[in-house]
Amino acid sequence: MSEQLVPVSEIQSTDDNVPRWGMAIDLDRCTGCEACVVACHVENNIPVATEDEAAMGRSSHWIRIDRYYEGTFPDIKVKYRPVLCQQCDDAPCEPVCPVYATYQNAEGLNVQVYNRCVGTRYCANNCPYQVRVFNWFDPEWPEPLELQLNPDVSVRPGGVMEKCTFCVQRIQRGKLDAQAEDRKVGDGDIQPACVQGCPAEAMAFGDLTDPESKVSQWAGVGRSTQLLGELGTKPKVFYLEKSD
Amino acid sequence: MDRRNFFKLVGTASGGALTGACGKQAQELIPLLVPATEIVPGAEEWHPSVCSSCAAGCGTIVRVMQAERKIEVEGETVRQPIAAIKKIEGNPLDPVSGGRLCARGQAAVQGLYHPDRLTGPRRRAGARGSGDFELVDWETALSEVAAVLAGVDRRRIVYLTSAGMGTGSATAARFLDSIGAPPATTIGVNDFTVERRASQLAFGWDGLPVYEIQDATYVLSIGADFLGGWASPVFYSRRFGHMRRGRPGIRGKLVHAESRFSQTAWSADRWLPVAPGGEHALAMAIGHVIVSDKLRESDQAGESLRQAFVATDFSAACKASGLEEKRIRDVARELASSMSPLVLAGASIVRPGSSRAVTAANELNLLLGNIGAKGGVMPPASLPGGLTAERPAYRPLEEQIGKAEVVMIDGVNPLYAAPWLAGSLAKVELVISFAGFLDDSAAHADWILPDHHELEASAGVIPLMSPTPALTGAPAFVKPLHETRATPDVLVDLARRLDAAIEPVTLDSAYASLHGQGTDEESTPADFIDQARRQGGWWERERPADAHRTRTEPLGDWDPPVSDPAYPFAFQPYPTLQFGFGGESHLPWLQQLPDPASSAVWNLPVEVDPATAEQLDVRNGDTLRVISPSGELEAPVYVNPAAIPGVVSMPIGQGHGTFGRYASGQGANPLSIVDPVPEQETGVPAFGATRVRLEKGTTKQRLVQYAAVDRQPHPHR
Repeated sequence: MSEQLVPVSEIQSTDDNVPRWGMAIDLDRCTGCEACVVACHVENNIPVATEDEAAMGRSSHWIRIDRYYEGTFPDIKVKYRPVLCQQCDDAPCEPVCPVYATYQNAEGLNVQVYNRCVGTRYCANNCPYQVRVFNWFDPEWPEPLELQLNPDVSVRPGGVMEKCTFCVQRIQRGKLDAQAEDRKVGDGDIQPACVQGCPAEAMAFGDLTDPESKVSQWAGVGRSTQLLGELGTKPKVFYLEKSD
Repeated sequence: MDRRNFFKLVGTASGGALTGACGKQAQELIPLLVPATEIVPGAEEWHPSVCSSCAAGCGTIVRVMQAERKIEVEGETVRQPIAAIKKIEGNPLDPVSGGRLCARGQAAVQGLYHPDRLTGPRRRAGARGSGDFELVDWETALSEVAAVLAGVDRRRIVYLTSAGMGTGSATAARFLDSIGAPPATTIGVNDFTVERRASQLAFGWDGLPVYEIQDATYVLSIGADFLGGWASPVFYSRRFGHMRRGRPGIRGKLVHAESRFSQTAWSADRWLPVAPGGEHALAMAIGHVIVSDKLRESDQAGESLRQAFVATDFSAACKASGLEEKRIRDVARELASSMSPLVLAGASIVRPGSSRAVTAANELNLLLGNIGAKGGVMPPASLPGGLTAERPAYRPLEEQIGKAEVVMIDGVNPLYAAPWLAGSLAKVELVISFAGFLDDSAAHADWILPDHHELEASAGVIPLMSPTPALTGAPAFVKPLHETRATPDVLVDLARRLDAAIEPVTLDSAYASLHGQGTDEESTPADFIDQARRQGGWWERERPADAHRTRTEPLGDWDPPVSDPAYPFAFQPYPTLQFGFGGESHLPWLQQLPDPASSAVWNLPVEVDPATAEQLDVRNGDTLRVISPSGELEAPVYVNPAAIPGVVSMPIGQGHGTFGRYASGQGANPLSIVDPVPEQETGVPAFGATRVRLEKGTTKQRLVQYAAVDRQPHPHR
């Protein structure tokens, strides 16, 4: 974990009316309970990897809890953090895609276009966070499990790369709702599934260009850091470190 | 989903989904080729419900949208539009969930659409346990079961159920009473009998205390993995988050004492690796320091209680707890000198002296004087009306089942969670199961009368713990997928056939009984019920009074440490955050969820410390044979760097004989080798009291670990 290299105040939008979506995760609140992991599965139609597939390293999670033991018994600690796509401003995954299936949209989302992806996996290879997941198999939903699938999210076929989208379908819904009611999107109106479900309320999501937003407030505190920020990827996920 | 949008979108209870309450965006299906950023969501509705994955009773909201189900009609497959459930979230109005939900609650929708659900009533066609059943119609099933029940001695009916309380348990109580059968009983596992007894002993309260950790400045938790698999994890996780960072300038500190490096231990500021069964001694040692060193003034502790702590042999207590004296003194001083100190007590792993241990830990709060105080301990919020009175309680089972003519199994899986009952259950003449799946116990039943899934049924649930009196309600809002029937309806039907007509306790009748009981009721009964149905429950605003009495009789000593050269290791099966006591093992999302300790998926390992692993010459993924006086199992080993030397732990959840395609035959059940020693105060099985020895295994077992770091050779080898 590095010093914070890109202060939240420096995250700029190209247009005053266009937000830059970001997330802050307070590790002092997080308990590593994995509610975010399952919330993401349900929301985003994440396929189930069988035991054989998991043994080959083919599990699919868009968000995971990394945990590292430190020290030895009895003075042992564990460091853990939810890791998802960091939605980097300078994303290493983007320039290596030969078919432009991944790019940065105007709101700062690192977007994956499933029907353009040809499955070279260069992007996953270049991602320092290991948060891109390749569909080695077609997803299987034995009937009637498919009834649960979220129609707002494409079911990805085999051969396609996928990753966390910050629940772009929820962002879109939030914007449409605001538009229909002739108002601006309010802070907290849009919550990705992981943020919404988090029992310890350890995650904040919102517009990083709005200094009053909860995510900006959290990202601006002294405990705020970025994962592997020294690589210059300019992540838009901020981690608030534990401290006494 | 926030409060504003929830109220805007929620449909009226039983009106049926997709009937126009939403009317926002156009209803259209989303083609694959539409770019993600251009997606127009289809029509949706949100309905209030309640999660039944554990006894916590979290209020939820459920997203319902149109879907197409494939069905067979005259030999052809046709697509039938149905209202399908897409997502479950916490109900923001509910005082327990507060709009949040745990991994198990999130995954519950897979139980509804599980491919291996039982589609209708079944009669046993082969030997018990063979899983050989024939499908029959409901009329046949109910008439034949009623005919048998008519001929048995009703006093010898045993009705096994879970700790969950609400309209279902109340209807079952009426049924049993009407036919002259004894009240329902829990199976003694995962029913919080120990914590209830300790609450009674320490405070004179009937129910679980509510710990106000969100306002505490220093929390010492003893024995309860309250952020993992114990009691009400969402409720306490919310409070934990607030304790840590929800108050400007105040960060609460958590010190956790448990014989396992649990979810709560790794979230804590400090972990006290207490010896298995050493929790009682630890509480006495802490209390000894507080009283002897006059660290805190309190008028809540009686003189006899203070004297009991003073009389404790501090050195002996420290030794029995397995912790250094200095460490215990430091914690006692920090605790007593903190502005709002609190001790949270429970027994995630039940041992013979657990009730006394939890009582002693609870009594530290009396020494701290925090009962009824902000950041202290609050009494349970009991519901007005008759529902609470019919709480299923534990009664020693082996003898009861040994004499039983009929056993009815509702909402529990005793052959998995209490496998020591298998022998007595096998001799029972008639076993009736209400399971929705062919689980371990249903496979041994003569009749299976499958219940609706919780998301298809109407029910009112009293949360296990709640800051204020609460009845959380789930009106039915989607049609049942299969030919299942709600168990309360089946019981009413059976009672009628036995000439013992009863009225079911419905959600509306439960709400009606609460009208006028609260502090702010000015509505008509109809408006009151409608409001409760819409918002997903009735929640009183005021806390109960904090009257308590303290125990006067001496509580006895802690259990001495056990040693047995033939079985040198303490064995502790523990409930997991993903499966609890094995009730959710059939859900594939939870099977592929990495285990927090080992990052194992699909199989769960036995955990040993690095030194023991070295002695046994085993590494991650090797097979270990765990042998107790009652049996043995083989499982892959995980060398846990945080395991206490000499203590072997194993997560509960795998080892189902039969429980759908995703759990059947997967791994081993740690409870299967447990000696069911009775807990001394309550008689519930102390499943954490078994000792084992370890050998290298002979079978090949697979340990699949998700985290890349775990696939590398462990630094301790």
